[in-house]
Amino acid sequence: MNVASVTRSKIIWLVVAIIGVAVAFVATPNASDAVAASVLFVVIVVSAAGFSSASFRQWHPVLARAAKVLVVTCATLFATFFFSETTNFNLATGAAMSVTLVGLSFLTGISGQISLGNGAFMGVGAFVMAMWANHHATTPIVLALLIAIAGGAVVGLLLGLPATRLRGPYLAGMTLAFAVAFDAILNYFNSWTGGDGGLQLPRSTNPPGWLLRLFSHGVAPLTANTLWLTDITIVATGVAFFFMANLFASRVGRAMRLVRDNEVGAELVGVNLARTRVLAFVISSSYAALGGALWTLINNSATPSTYSFALSIVILSVLVIGGIGTIPGALIGGLIYAYSTNVIAWFTARTGLNPQGNLASQLNGIIFGGLLIVTMMFAPRGVAGLYRTFRRRQIIKGPDVNQPVEETYAEA
Amino acid sequence: MDAFLTSRVISDLLGGMTNGMIYGLVALSLVLVWRSTGILNFAQGAMPMFAVYVGMVALGHYFGYWVCVGIALFAGFVIGAGTERILVRPLYGKPEINPIVVMVGFLTVLEAVAAAIWSSVPRGLPSPFSPIDYRLGGLPLAVSPFSLYEIITSLAVMAAVAMLFRYTNLGLQLRASALAPEVSRLLGVRVNRMLTLGWTLSTGVGTITAILVSSNFFTGLTPQVMDGIFAFGFIAAAVGGLDSPVGSIVAGVVMGIILQFVGDYVNSNAIILAAVAILIVSLMARPNGVFSPVRTRRV
Repeated sequence: MNVASVTRSKIIWLVVAIIGVAVAFVATPNASDAVAASVLFVVIVVSAAGFSSASFRQWHPVLARAAKVLVVTCATLFATFFFSETTNFNLATGAAMSVTLVGLSFLTGISGQISLGNGAFMGVGAFVMAMWANHHATTPIVLALLIAIAGGAVVGLLLGLPATRLRGPYLAGMTLAFAVAFDAILNYFNSWTGGDGGLQLPRSTNPPGWLLRLFSHGVAPLTANTLWLTDITIVATGVAFFFMANLFASRVGRAMRLVRDNEVGAELVGVNLARTRVLAFVISSSYAALGGALWTLINNSATPSTYSFALSIVILSVLVIGGIGTIPGALIGGLIYAYSTNVIAWFTARTGLNPQGNLASQLNGIIFGGLLIVTMMFAPRGVAGLYRTFRRRQIIKGPDVNQPVEETYAEA
Repeated sequence: MDAFLTSRVISDLLGGMTNGMIYGLVALSLVLVWRSTGILNFAQGAMPMFAVYVGMVALGHYFGYWVCVGIALFAGFVIGAGTERILVRPLYGKPEINPIVVMVGFLTVLEAVAAAIWSSVPRGLPSPFSPIDYRLGGLPLAVSPFSLYEIITSLAVMAAVAMLFRYTNLGLQLRASALAPEVSRLLGVRVNRMLTLGWTLSTGVGTITAILVSSNFFTGLTPQVMDGIFAFGFIAAAVGGLDSPVGSIVAGVVMGIILQFVGDYVNSNAIILAAVAILIVSLMARPNGVFSPVRTRRV
């Protein structure tokens, strides 16, 4: 990498960090949270910049990904100790959302299919988790999460089977129908799902004894429920992202990209079209189910109204704004989801709108819908894509044209 | 005879047919857009919803039902044409995901703006037709003046669309520009104008559907009222074939009847469940729709 592009790359990271810090101050409830969030953000940006260096990635791609995920996860875990309970809760909500988003990002970006029903798949995970916990309260969290993922996979397989033969719009419409129907489905099985009221978890999830014993003086905040749940969610998110980053670059990922770009070619080199498509759909719905299960964990309950059709639309919106088809886009989308409410509330307060009025209550939809259209028209790869185009453009413009193009695990 | 006509089976059949007409109309409006521009318009429910709200502004100023209907229709045409010109035109030739996402965004904006201006409280659009069923020998027959109005309007719209496409020069141009845009352009058809017209027409059909839905005494108009109906309409269009206007209308009516029976004999939550099941089964059996000609692709 030549000198000019290194400085320019640093400038971009600096701009990203400054924007992040500014948002942190608007979105968090008090000054100490904002400071902690800013420090966290800068650490993440710096480490991400370090581990995405081309030489490291070329030396050992899997290790580079693992290192990146590990640093970001650990930094976030460390930061959660300094955050207030509200900020932690929002962070966990956003992290679980980003798990769903990365699944959809994979489905769309790699296999070229689209789902408008991932809110309902989140609901499947959430309710499987809640139902399981109500019958087998002693199941360890990891196992319960895996069961929820399996539930999402089964439902995804059922809906994905027709997807083998469907082109984009049909699949989108079918998943939309599922999302609209989900409420009625929950009601139909109300003896299991608790009908309109949903399900409560039978007991709150506490940290295991061995972990508490590690901190012999008893770290008070760890026993606080929100912190513990937030940390579980962040670890689960880190694991999910690590697998997904590898999947994007794997043999399966390449086969899916080939199916997306050239069906006939894929068939000729021996890729099974139907199986590849269904697999992508099942992976995406499993990720959504994990996101929903984490939400059940954080909230201690699962309610049908959360998983309405509107959620599916919101999922699509934040992902497109963040950058559909990319991994960083899913993280950005999760952050947008978690803190947009605070930013919009701040905006409402500044402009003097009546917070109970019609306009203020619909501001969310107007802004997200508008951004969805604008992003798709003018920057189809969202925030993540803007950054990528900028960086790639300057690489091509640089003096050393013959340098190898960086390995990107989620190109357009 | 009276006892037979007022029996549960016949009631379900008649009620189902009335609902099915609505699904058929939504399906028809989807097919019109799909055939002309190859886009599945996810805002096909929201655009007419907005048009009817615009029409209902007149109701506040002591104008009658038919004035509202006229204004709503006009607003529907304007919204349809404007959407094609501004939002959809830059999307031709892009990956098929882009128009889907843009139209979903448009759906969100329209619903949010409608709720911001007119609130989410249901509003009635009182039609001059009574929703009370006719009685036959003291028993209610599942037909009311209002349901007759729904059925007759739907049939008239379908007939008008069919006539337009089959017997007029304009219809020929519309079909030609959908089928072979390049050739049509060479032969002097203004293809771009035809595409706009296709969207205008489709939103017009949609607006009539939305007017019928909001005139219904039992539902009224809310920003989300078309979401569920759009889902049923889409299922009808997908089952019948997005390429086939007749197929989608037939599928809509048949589905309306089946779902009425499901709702009556099972329960109301099973309705949409059954609809999704119908969709999945039919798409697995005939991915391009029951009424679409089977097409094979040569490699």
